[in-house]
Amino acid sequence: MDSNKKIKVLYIDDEPNNLVSFKASFRFDYNIFIANNTTEALQRLEENPDISVILSDQKMPGMTGVEFFEDIRTKYPNPVRILITGYTDIDSVINAINRGHVFRYIKKPWTDVDVQSAIDEAHKFYITSSMLALKNEELQKAYEELDKFAYSATHDMRGPILSVLGIIDLAKNAEEMGEIKEMVGMMENAMLKLDNYIQNLHDHYSIRRGELNITDIDFENVMKDMSDLYDITSRVKNVRFEKMVQQNGKFRGDDISIKIIVNNLLSNAFKYQRKEADEKLVTFSIKAENGQVVIMVEDNGIGIPKKNMNDVFTMFFRGANDEIGSGFGLYNVKDALNKINGKIEVTSAENVGSKFLVTIPSK
Amino acid sequence: MGAGKMNFIVIDDSKLDCFIAEKIILNSGSCESVKVFQQAAQALEHIEASASQGTTVVFVDIQMPVMNGFEFVENFEKLSAELKKNYHMYMLSSSINENDIARVKGYASVRHFLNKPLTNDTIKAVLEEF
Repeated sequence: MDSNKKIKVLYIDDEPNNLVSFKASFRFDYNIFIANNTTEALQRLEENPDISVILSDQKMPGMTGVEFFEDIRTKYPNPVRILITGYTDIDSVINAINRGHVFRYIKKPWTDVDVQSAIDEAHKFYITSSMLALKNEELQKAYEELDKFAYSATHDMRGPILSVLGIIDLAKNAEEMGEIKEMVGMMENAMLKLDNYIQNLHDHYSIRRGELNITDIDFENVMKDMSDLYDITSRVKNVRFEKMVQQNGKFRGDDISIKIIVNNLLSNAFKYQRKEADEKLVTFSIKAENGQVVIMVEDNGIGIPKKNMNDVFTMFFRGANDEIGSGFGLYNVKDALNKINGKIEVTSAENVGSKFLVTIPSK
Repeated sequence: MGAGKMNFIVIDDSKLDCFIAEKIILNSGSCESVKVFQQAAQALEHIEASASQGTTVVFVDIQMPVMNGFEFVENFEKLSAELKKNYHMYMLSSSINENDIARVKGYASVRHFLNKPLTNDTIKAVLEEF
């Protein structure tokens, strides 16, 4: 087994002979670190924060094993602690176990089997509690997101509804047909905005909860779908749309994730154009080869100010003074990329444009 | 209603809500002038550039990109007393978040929190304060 993947074990004993024989017995099974005293032990822990099991002799000059375990508990809470001791210290051992400082104890002189089973059990415990810590962290993140979502939902979903209610109130007293038609157009926009928000929300949850569905991806098809969507936008908004697709060999991936990513990037590229610019341009290229695809979406639009670069992938962050942005788009892109092990690079300059470069490995 | 005609400023990133506010204000019969800004920064520049001639009611939305309503009010409060004296702030939002509503109360320059959308009744109530 590669020594990096072996369980990392620290053994502390003031008897050099014990250290040597311990290392000799277990060096094939575990990645062993030894320390002659507690100061050395702390140094080993400092250098190797991923040590998962610590075994310590109880009777040492200066500090007992139990005292050492108590001492390091706040700074190194994760490694599982095993005490090695003779029968004479049984009281302190019972005490230590009851206070939760020690996972197991091994009596001296130890047998290889005892030590091995203690280390393996301890490591299992270590893995389980680390997993739990990780899950807790994820849960915490999910709660925070839910809070943010609840907050945004009241604003972003209620907003268009209240606008329409406001217009309806005005329309009740409007006399002229022209004025009423204008109001109907406005109501339509508000509803489109709400619909867009809900679709983004749907994307968000399909990325989050949906299983990946890995199939052969034909990027000509992806290109065709996007052309169907954006050729019209290109014409209406007077933005030149340059497309290039090249695929050598098979690519396997999740169709939905890829489309969410590409669609959001293109939508942004068309949305964040400079209104007064003469030569508006969106360049879209897909190049699939050697087990990966590189997708580029570039525009010569308003660009992203330097100070916002770190925030563009944050949920509900809106960097531009437009009223169309939901603060969902790039967050969804990043989320989808995380799920399929993709990467994204952004280069942008204000009033020059933005370039998004996505790399996704084939499954 | 004591003050007669007044000036109004509306700050909201939603074009539609600006339209509604403008109509309601014009219909109120108490409007001397109304200026609409979709970006808070521009409204702030406008206020900085010219001390208001008469009483001016400012309706500012809370959730806006780039500079939100709270940031706008904080920047406004830094202006000189001379500049500030004729402006009266009202914060508007579709938010039903208690933190937002509580935060509004913390600003000395803000008179009230108002629910969206602005209606004939709300503006009548606002005008009665002058």
